[in-house]
Amino acid sequence: MKVYVNDIPIEILPGMTVRHALISADLLRETESSKRVFDEWGNEIGLNGALFEGAKIYVR
Amino acid sequence: MATKDIFNKCIELNKILNNICIARITVFCLFLLLFLSVPYAHSEQTVIRILYLNDFHGFAEPYKPFGSDENLGGIAYLSAKLNSLRNERDSLLLSAGDMIQGNNWANLSQGESVIELINAMKFDAMVLGNHEFDFGQDVLKKLISEAKFPVLGSNVENLDLVKPYVIKEIAGVKIGIIGVVTDDTPVTTHPRNVAGLTFISPEDSAQKYIKELKGRTDIIVVLSHIGYSADRLLPERAEGIDVIVGGHSHTKVLSPTIINKTIVLQAWEHAKALGVLDLTIADGRIEKYEGHLEEIRPELGKDDKNITAIVEKYQKKVDTVLNETVGEAEADLDGENVRKRETNLGDFIADIIREESGSDIALINGGGIRASIRKGEIKEKHVYTVLPFDNYIVAVKLSGRQIREALEHGVSAIEEGAGRFPQVSGLSFTYSRAEKPGSRVKEILIAGNLIDLNKEYSVATNDFLAAGGDGYKAFGDAVKSSKDFSIVGGTMKGEKLIYSDSGRWLRDVVIEYIKGKRIISPAIEGRITETP
Repeated sequence: MKVYVNDIPIEILPGMTVRHALISADLLRETESSKRVFDEWGNEIGLNGALFEGAKIYVR
Repeated sequence: MATKDIFNKCIELNKILNNICIARITVFCLFLLLFLSVPYAHSEQTVIRILYLNDFHGFAEPYKPFGSDENLGGIAYLSAKLNSLRNERDSLLLSAGDMIQGNNWANLSQGESVIELINAMKFDAMVLGNHEFDFGQDVLKKLISEAKFPVLGSNVENLDLVKPYVIKEIAGVKIGIIGVVTDDTPVTTHPRNVAGLTFISPEDSAQKYIKELKGRTDIIVVLSHIGYSADRLLPERAEGIDVIVGGHSHTKVLSPTIINKTIVLQAWEHAKALGVLDLTIADGRIEKYEGHLEEIRPELGKDDKNITAIVEKYQKKVDTVLNETVGEAEADLDGENVRKRETNLGDFIADIIREESGSDIALINGGGIRASIRKGEIKEKHVYTVLPFDNYIVAVKLSGRQIREALEHGVSAIEEGAGRFPQVSGLSFTYSRAEKPGSRVKEILIAGNLIDLNKEYSVATNDFLAAGGDGYKAFGDAVKSSKDFSIVGGTMKGEKLIYSDSGRWLRDVVIEYIKGKRIISPAIEGRITETP
């Protein structure tokens, strides 16, 4: 399943979550500081949130 | 005709005309009354409140999320807020799923704690989430039978006790509530948990039951566990939905989103927020809406004492379970040296992962093992300390060449004591730190034979490495090329993926294994040998 983290394509398995996408993008540690994860509509999302094919998430 | 007769006729005619006039005035007055009463009826408004929660995952106690300086959540604090909001007007309390699995508080009673909790909070309806299936169908059916509210799942076929929809009436407003769950459920829990069940398209199911409810309700709510993105598409594919209360993507929808006149909502996760939607209904339609999230923070003395009692009762049970003896170790189990050499605990856990997934070999990161276990009684809490992360087992096919690359990566930062150092099962290898990183691995044997670099082997690991964690690129590459996932022989399979069970934490698999064996005595077997 292809998702985009900060507009960079990442491949994860079906059933994997925001956390896995961040691990794959080597960005999980960013969320340990004050950074948060948002969906493409600007809503904050939890690390265990489900993703879907083509999902775009942003760490900021 | 005599003058007298003419006079009498005139009097009769006058009477008739008078009667007609009175009748006209009466009819006019009736029309006037009706005319005045109609706008009055139209202006009669009812305000109802929908309160909602999703993806609780058993997070009963407040906790400090990643990147936050303060504790958030706490179901007893949420319940106190809920009670005060309920007191303000007629309300409905809905759950959009994934309630019973996740945190130890829920897992160690297999969801029983959550059912007692949400019964006490008087939920009006709940939709199944994909993680509601994680303890298996027998447990799920038992929990549903204990629930004092309808459990919905219109697109799940062959599951007893689950209803497609329910009609609730509050303040004279009839509300049809249809439940839909993600049709990805079979790939997000172990396939044995959904054996015999069919998950049809949520859109098709919603359409079907919207038609069935037409004319029987004033408004239609879809209680959805399909994720915010799919919720946004649902109104375009299934017309007639007034409100979607969603879950699955853990999305913090601060204020209602409007898609084709449908109100789309979601209340984040882990009881860190309670959703509030006020609807003004007139003439069977929504005239006005107003919604927001109430963020939940623990405040001294502002908890719902009844709910606190339930939280504490099950927390004590958690403590009891964690103190239960699950087996005995005949040797110290070494979790201290897992980042620099083979250890018996590393071997033991890698063996379980390989056996559980039926793979040729297993490779895990030493950094995933966080503590040792002393010789003697093994308590459940010891295993939780060893494996504190919520990891699950994944197995993929890797070529011999990729396995070599993975092992090279594993020993590439041994000087730093990096967590990537591998613990393995089903293979042995030698390496030399005198060589440059990338050229350190020498001989690799799988099942006693030299590795074939061009052959594919099944390799079990955890989801962290499967996502490319600790820099394990080989697993990431396998995932990239693994397409066309399907359920084969009871597990999810793809071109390269052969096993994935996201609903069962690795530590729970290890505990079950130890319980089965009772006495364990793993020893170092020479799987990883450092040469000069």
